[in-house]
Amino acid sequence: MRVSLDWLAEWIELPGDEELSERLNLGGFEDAEIETSGPDLSAVVVGHVKECGPHPNADRLSFCKVDTGSGELVEVVCGAPNVSEGQKIAFASVGSRLPDGTKLKKTKIRGIVSRGMICSARELGLSEEHDGILVLDSEAPVGTPLPEVISVGDRTLEFGITPNRGDVTSLLGVAREVHALIGGEPTPPETEPPETGAPASEAVSVAIAAAEDCHHYAARVVRGVRVGPSPDHVVRRLEAAGIRSINNVVDATNWVLLEFGQPLHAFDLATLHGGRVEVRRAAAGEKLACLDGETRELDPSDLVICDAERPIALAGVMGGADSEVGEKTRDILIESAHFHPTVVRLTARRHGLQTEASYRFERGVDREGVLRAADRVARLIVEWAGGEVASGVVAARGAEPVVTREIDLDVARANRLLGTEIEVAEARALLARVGVECREIGPGVLTGSVPSHRNDLHVHQDLTEEVARVYGYDRIPTTLPTAELHPVAEPTTWQLGERVRDEFVAAGLSEAICLPFVPLGDSDALRLAADDPRRSQRTIVNPLKEEEPLLRTTLAPSLLRLAQQNLSRQIDAVALFEISSVFLPRSSEAGGAEPLAAAAVLSEPQEAALWNRKNPIPLFFRAKGVAERLLIQAGYVALWRGQTESPYLHPGASATIEVGGHVVGTVGEIHPEVAANFALDVPCALIELDLGRLEAQPRRAKEFHEVSRQPAARRDLAVLLGDDLAAGDVLAAIEQAGGADLQSVELFDRYAGKGVPEGRVSLAFRLAFQKMDRALTEKEVSKSVDRIVRMLSHRFGGELR
Amino acid sequence: MTADKPDLGTLEERAGVEIAAAGDLHELTAVRARYLGKKGSVAALLRSIGELEPSERGRVGQEANAAKQRIEAAAAARKGDLERAGREQVLASQRLDVSLRGTATRTGHLHPITHVTRDMVQFFTSLGFSIEEGPEIETEYNNFEALNIPADHPARDEQDTFYLDDGRLLRTHTSNVQIRVMAGRKPPFRFIAPGRVYRHDLSPRHSPMFHQIEGFLVDERVTFGDLKGVLYGFGRHLMGRDIELRFRSNHFPFTEPSAEMDYACVLCDKQGCAACSQHGWMEWGGCGMIHPKVLERCEIDPDRYQGFAFGMGIDRTAMLRYGIPQLRHLFEGDVRVLEQI
Repeated sequence: MRVSLDWLAEWIELPGDEELSERLNLGGFEDAEIETSGPDLSAVVVGHVKECGPHPNADRLSFCKVDTGSGELVEVVCGAPNVSEGQKIAFASVGSRLPDGTKLKKTKIRGIVSRGMICSARELGLSEEHDGILVLDSEAPVGTPLPEVISVGDRTLEFGITPNRGDVTSLLGVAREVHALIGGEPTPPETEPPETGAPASEAVSVAIAAAEDCHHYAARVVRGVRVGPSPDHVVRRLEAAGIRSINNVVDATNWVLLEFGQPLHAFDLATLHGGRVEVRRAAAGEKLACLDGETRELDPSDLVICDAERPIALAGVMGGADSEVGEKTRDILIESAHFHPTVVRLTARRHGLQTEASYRFERGVDREGVLRAADRVARLIVEWAGGEVASGVVAARGAEPVVTREIDLDVARANRLLGTEIEVAEARALLARVGVECREIGPGVLTGSVPSHRNDLHVHQDLTEEVARVYGYDRIPTTLPTAELHPVAEPTTWQLGERVRDEFVAAGLSEAICLPFVPLGDSDALRLAADDPRRSQRTIVNPLKEEEPLLRTTLAPSLLRLAQQNLSRQIDAVALFEISSVFLPRSSEAGGAEPLAAAAVLSEPQEAALWNRKNPIPLFFRAKGVAERLLIQAGYVALWRGQTESPYLHPGASATIEVGGHVVGTVGEIHPEVAANFALDVPCALIELDLGRLEAQPRRAKEFHEVSRQPAARRDLAVLLGDDLAAGDVLAAIEQAGGADLQSVELFDRYAGKGVPEGRVSLAFRLAFQKMDRALTEKEVSKSVDRIVRMLSHRFGGELR
Repeated sequence: MTADKPDLGTLEERAGVEIAAAGDLHELTAVRARYLGKKGSVAALLRSIGELEPSERGRVGQEANAAKQRIEAAAAARKGDLERAGREQVLASQRLDVSLRGTATRTGHLHPITHVTRDMVQFFTSLGFSIEEGPEIETEYNNFEALNIPADHPARDEQDTFYLDDGRLLRTHTSNVQIRVMAGRKPPFRFIAPGRVYRHDLSPRHSPMFHQIEGFLVDERVTFGDLKGVLYGFGRHLMGRDIELRFRSNHFPFTEPSAEMDYACVLCDKQGCAACSQHGWMEWGGCGMIHPKVLERCEIDPDRYQGFAFGMGIDRTAMLRYGIPQLRHLFEGDVRVLEQI
């Protein structure tokens, strides 16, 4: 909300700007700030005319020497008749800019160099006057920026309002808070109107049909007004508050809205049918042409104001166009009413409207303020637009609103909540400052009566907050809790996620965080089968971007897009991972619909390495290596199976990862079709792990194994085998057949081509044999090797090369 | 053997000169052979001892052997010199361009959010707070009603919400965890809940997804003063030095009293700078004493127990810590950015 500071100053004495904004800020006015509208004159300073004489070459010009606080006197030529020695003036130096945009330069005027300008009010954009320079107070300190010594524009107080504080959406409300938080007594304006006309009840009757929705409705009648423009200061102050001036009658309603926070509406009395106003729910199918030019279809959830025949306003939201006050209006009916906040909110929301009125009704308007505002606006209309106020108010009351009138507060309880030692009398005084008058009903127990404008106070904690707010949060002693010590628990999937993060980082990958919103086409781009559960993406009904209405079920598309974007920035190689929940369709209330997933993308390096490796590691094995080490480090024993059915992985260069008999993830190079769908022109591989499922699998605890001090015997073995065999199976078989002394076996070469028959491949294994207690004999080693060779021949048809 | 039979002194002197003059090991070997070899000068000299008077033999023999040893030593020393010089030469020729980058395994980088989250979690676990997580897709009840934010209340406007087709929503704060954790647990307890939250908002200062950490402690005696104490400690831990906090009265439906907290800008010490928008203070989060209605909804007796709760953004802290100017850098996944932190 914005309010003119000068206007506020008419209501209550204000401290300095800084203190005002700070105290309001601390007291709950979000971002309270004083803004100055008007020209930026921060470059203009106070100058002292030390010497002033006639210009040697021009009769009407003066030649002055000005002290600007810089230490040197500045020589300027001045054309104003009123300049004289000893004046304090507004000085703009060379290089500074005037409000009209001109940048001052050193100039020669009739042969004399002028280094700046003594400014007039007009040149400073302060007024239209141009009869000479602006003369400042003689006490103004030389060198001070001008905005610090004179008021250079309208100042407005701007602040945010929390939804519970409808009571501060007015000058009265702000003044009350200034009183509570700083001091001073608010002085509200006179409200009583001069009643001279025939009784209002002759012109109109009021009825409330929707008693729960409207608690009080008051109408006043003003006859014979002359609708026209409002006085200047009215226009300015409304504008400062962000309200456009319409005419003197409508402006008066808005003026009082700003003064007291009570929304008002003025109807052209001549347009009302049947001399009757009724508050009721709209009937289905009724229509109302609103002031904003739109005709709205109404339904029974809308509360409307009607005349004898039809709706004439959306209650608490907006008036109707037919009954609008215009130039030809002579007699008016003023509405001041108290509507139920929720009804107004629903009506406003249904029609997509938010107005000054609905904003206040939704947040709560003083239920006792209806008549005061009706009086005040009638008084102002007569003042600004002439006419006669009809005597009397025509009013009706609906149901009593449900309100909290009294709250008991045990001061000791308040202190226990805050950690303070505020005395009963002080608590009572603090509450009085926010308008809650208390009486002591028992030792240390107060009963506070809640003022009608504070619809946000209901329980004793609310009063405690008021005590704390006025007392000052900064005065509450800073302490530390004393409580039982309990061991700290971390969710196990959280722990695994952290573990996996560290392993990915150790493997050289960097962590990315993506937004979970994905476009419609992802499932197709990933070649997901029609019955793939990952196709069942949750839909956001109000997405931020129309083209991204879905929540991801897999991290794959996010990472593929990241890879593409980074590669398009000419990054040599991408190595990224993400750990995040994915959103699966809710199968049951039990949950499991947001499993934690981990995924990584690796791309083939594009630039030749400086230390050129002749035999670069195939992409798949780089990816597998990352996943393999990660799982081993985290304590899992994994089984790798080829021929994954993952639709977006290369069928020949991918594997599923099984732990504890469950598939927990996949590794593989991207299927070329999918790569094309994601505009990837560099080979990429993807690792995906379901951390939720992985976490449920058994882990192998790390265990010590004795190491041998005996020499190891090494043997290399090259074997011709069928090229369709999985080397992993062969390795496992060797490990099994090698006996207790086989310490390690490694595949160190794989060769097919010249010298190797078609359909065969040569695999070379390095075997190491070792005993714990003694060196092995040549005979023992040979026996083990023979056993392995026999096994290879027998089981795999292998032959020594 | 030379005809004129040089005397021992001359021989040793010549050997010394030649050894010193040997330019490489090859030459030195030749010189050595010439003097010390089986057919060398010294051997010849020794052989000729037999021709001397017996009384002379012993003395001359001793002198000759001593000379031989000195020549041996000189040759060995020269050999050492030559080998050293050779090594130096090789080393000199093997100079690497040490300005080239080392080839250590490429290091990965945790996301700035992860770094800061871990730092935050570490502080609170040190105070005995356990970690809790909750779902990001939440019911209206847990996200709003249970937190005392009724339907059709203007407080809902403040939290632009993403709704799903089944009426659920993406949680707008981590406070849903409060409800899930408190319901069915008996105080005392203290938890933190770090996590992702969503708001229907995209502007340079906002992202539709961001990170919050929520913390709460419920016990019989826990005060607003305790809340202040914990947050001061937290601020000190995060910023690495004492910081000044400011508690502004505010309204959250789920706390009473409520406060918004700011810390004195750590970049300009309240002088006002671009980072704090010239305010001198940076918004840090919201906090307060848990509203009795929230406790009641979780079946905790508000007359016996009270508690504090607080919540703050993680993203802004990360931006401040690493000097990241815009939120978007955190979620664009640009390797050039991620690898800096």
